[in-house]
Amino acid sequence: MKNYLLVVFSLFLSTLLQAQEKEKAPVKGLLSGSFESTGQWYLNDKERDLEQDSIPLRSNSYLSLNYNYGNFTAGVQAESYTSEALLNYNPKFTKTNLGIYFLNYKTKKIDATLGHFYEQFGSGLLLRSFEDRSLGINNALRGGKINFRPNDNISLTALYGKQRTGFDVSKGSVFGFDSNVNVSSLLKKTNYELSFGLCYVGRYEKSYFEKPNFSELTNAYSGRISFSKSNFYINGEYNFKSEDALLIAATNKVTNDIIKPGSAALINFGYSKKGLGFDTTLRRLENMTFLSEREPQFIGIERTSLFFNDRIMNFLPSLTKQNHSNLSNIYVYQAQGGVNIDPTNGIAKAGEIGGQVDFFYDFKKGSLFGGKYGTKIALNFSNWYNLGGTYTFEDQFGNYAPNYKTNFFSSKQKYYSDYNIEISKKFSSKVNGSLSYINQYYNNRYITGAANLLIKTNIIAAESTVKFAKSKSITFGIEHMWADTDRKDWFASSIEYNHNANWSIYINDMYNYGYDIKEKQISNGVDAFKIHFYNFGGSYKKGSTRIALNYGRQRGGLVCAGGVCRFVPQSTGVTLSLSTSF
Amino acid sequence: MRKLHLLLLLFGFLSYSQQNVPNIKTTSIDGKTVSIQTDFLEKDKLYIFSFWATWCSPCIQELDAINEVYEDWKKNLNVELIAVSTDDSRTQKRVKPLVNGKGWNYTILLDTNQEFKRSLGISNIPYLIVIKNGKIVFTENGHTPGNEDKLFEKLKSL
Repeated sequence: MKNYLLVVFSLFLSTLLQAQEKEKAPVKGLLSGSFESTGQWYLNDKERDLEQDSIPLRSNSYLSLNYNYGNFTAGVQAESYTSEALLNYNPKFTKTNLGIYFLNYKTKKIDATLGHFYEQFGSGLLLRSFEDRSLGINNALRGGKINFRPNDNISLTALYGKQRTGFDVSKGSVFGFDSNVNVSSLLKKTNYELSFGLCYVGRYEKSYFEKPNFSELTNAYSGRISFSKSNFYINGEYNFKSEDALLIAATNKVTNDIIKPGSAALINFGYSKKGLGFDTTLRRLENMTFLSEREPQFIGIERTSLFFNDRIMNFLPSLTKQNHSNLSNIYVYQAQGGVNIDPTNGIAKAGEIGGQVDFFYDFKKGSLFGGKYGTKIALNFSNWYNLGGTYTFEDQFGNYAPNYKTNFFSSKQKYYSDYNIEISKKFSSKVNGSLSYINQYYNNRYITGAANLLIKTNIIAAESTVKFAKSKSITFGIEHMWADTDRKDWFASSIEYNHNANWSIYINDMYNYGYDIKEKQISNGVDAFKIHFYNFGGSYKKGSTRIALNYGRQRGGLVCAGGVCRFVPQSTGVTLSLSTSF
Repeated sequence: MRKLHLLLLLFGFLSYSQQNVPNIKTTSIDGKTVSIQTDFLEKDKLYIFSFWATWCSPCIQELDAINEVYEDWKKNLNVELIAVSTDDSRTQKRVKPLVNGKGWNYTILLDTNQEFKRSLGISNIPYLIVIKNGKIVFTENGHTPGNEDKLFEKLKSL
């Protein structure tokens, strides 16, 4: 019924809008918004031993409306999860409710918000509140925020809030202050660019320990600097989180006995000019799990809020290339920012250290490698390791007492590496193509804590697009992956046909033809046969609206966007999605 | 049944083609503060804002394709393309070398926490809007290979 009311409400609004449009009156009040809905119908799949989910029809819908009048904007976001949220979304997203509401006042210098808001300080290593619907993340802060810009070169932000979790907020209070100064513009220098920023983030949560050995207010500070001159640039950031009770990953409880600070250092530099780009990023994270409540909340018996990326205050993305081929997204790295010392499997880690290098080059038209239309090449290397140091599991009496002492510049076990090259070339005005090679190293035991498996993959992917008259085109791709220590050989292929700017259809398949049952496997008995993961569907788009329909098999595993991943269960079904804005 | 209602509703919304430009400030790739509402107001000039990311291959395909014909467009029309990177801090550092490595001649804006993207209610990229005289006069989501010519025809008619 509630949903029905929602629909009626939107219809009413759309009529109202249309009326406004027709009158063409001088506009004072402006309404804008967007609507997005994804529905899934889960089906039986005999071959996969999959029974239809007990709630086979699920959907996530978001209606966002903003009303602007002069300097004021009021906004709401209604969310509906019916009958329940899509499989493996946070079960705290349930039924239809108001997810976000705010009132904003904005002038040239002041931007103030009451209610829910999103914010990111620096690169987000201390604070990032954002929404990502595909990952089921909405950790908006609810409270107040004020941003003051006396001029274009200085920006100051202060905020207070509690973090959204489901349709509620978590108990911890978050305080923040951020500043950004563009020094070079301020001094009217044009031959270089220099800016810096300082920020503070505090989290207060009352502890249940009678005499906590740590401060109930955790303070985190960060300083950053950015410099560039002609083709060269360098920027760095250092973040420090004050001593706080250590979260024991195995129990999801904090301990009053081990109190540790955290830190994050990031350096990025590069050189780039027309046709050439070179970039290096180095990062070290130690004990940087920063939650709005010290302990994750149990959701069900086995899962916690961490599993659903819920109640996390900061953003620790994996710094690796987000490859776009299908097979290269099976073994994906997740940044290891936290501490986990687990005697049951002998894993001890306190963070990560590593880096990533990118190189882009454009062979000019008419050159030896460029040919008639030019050739582009992109190289990327990333390597990530556990922090070096000493790790202890037990005290002298043999009781579990995790502890560690790390060295700043040293590394231990390798977690992950990805070396890849992509060459793209235009062959004629109608045909272009690309060829990629990807080599990955994935230390499953150290990344996920599960089976002791080292997976080394080699992937070759080729893609080509052929254009025809009247915006018609066909894109096809083939890929092969060798992953001998896990599910072995994979072959993937895809074809997409664009009929015109509105209609397109596609079909793709990932075939794990080399599957062979083994003692240790990441998938651990799931889809334990030579399996085709096929999908096909079509979409219609016009203006800001897109409607897409898909039928196929979803591989169980990680689905990642922007360096954050979500576990999705294996499923077979039909997906309908709609999105529009107005 | 409910989905049917939603569909109807959607087509109701389709009729809105004109929109006001959001009052958003963002940062250019060289660290300058840019106001979307007040910095793109040259009379009758067409500003194409193309939302993209370093990991979005259709976006890069589209920007590569437009780059090929960009000089021709500029000769014929008073037009500027602003490529708005929606990369978050995972991939944002790759924007500058990628843009230069590709040899793109666009103005680049960084929408790190996606405030600009959110203000337009954008769900998926690529997504482009055309702003003329402070109004959004055209919107297109998704990329169809070879659609540059059609887009150019559209621009000429705006």
